[in-house]
Amino acid sequence: MNKLEMLPGAPNEIVMQRDFAAPRHLVKRAMTEPELVKRWQGNSRSALISVTIDARPGGTYRYVYRTPDGHEFSFAGVYREVSDERTVQTERFNDMPSEALITTTLTEKAGVTTMRVVMAFESAEIRDMVVKTGMADGAAESYDNLEALVTGM
Amino acid sequence: MTIALDATFAALADPTRRAILARLVRGDASVGELAEPFAMSQPAISKHLKVLERAGLISRGRDAQRRPCHLEASPLREATDYLERYRAQWEARFAALDNVLEELKRAKPKRKRTP
Repeated sequence: MNKLEMLPGAPNEIVMQRDFAAPRHLVKRAMTEPELVKRWQGNSRSALISVTIDARPGGTYRYVYRTPDGHEFSFAGVYREVSDERTVQTERFNDMPSEALITTTLTEKAGVTTMRVVMAFESAEIRDMVVKTGMADGAAESYDNLEALVTGM
Repeated sequence: MTIALDATFAALADPTRRAILARLVRGDASVGELAEPFAMSQPAISKHLKVLERAGLISRGRDAQRRPCHLEASPLREATDYLERYRAQWEARFAALDNVLEELKRAKPKRKRTP
């Protein structure tokens, strides 16, 4: 499995990079076709129950998740820039006022696509909050997911 | 989420404070020694040290003159554990994306479905 790298960025940023053994147009499809997105953006604790994507400049997207106790939350935003190589989109959690800017860059070399994601939050404090809540929510579930993947192989 | 951890993250949000911690990994240091490489006044450094101390990231020695700063590793470790778990969450997602991509590769070229 390819390694996910957390790269140094500004204090308000999260920067991740990972290689995928697939050409760029397939990675792009997996990022923009709702039925495909549902299969990897969800997790074992919170199901991704609804995905709408209009991937063009000015178009919007919305991911709605549901936790096992029936609680729903969402990530939504507007695409600012969409090309084969670069996607820039805004993101709001639960339609809150604070908006993050997510830049995803896909570069293909010899059939391998490198994805770099830069998430820029409004402040370092918000970034840290995201890391913490992502964790609180994600800790148990991500390990469950890993386990399921490993046993399913 | 514990209040202590909030304080840790707030303290770590500042680049000067992260640099101070990086310096303290190499050993204890006085305010004067810490102020030197940063081109900052001692009062400015002292302010940062107070934030770090409140977050439990450093402790100050008893020596009234020097009051050397000492790195406290455990809250720092707790904070990095959080980052590691955040990473693991994405790691799991991307592993799932690997599976989707494998399937898309196998499905290529598109075949006509038999009725």
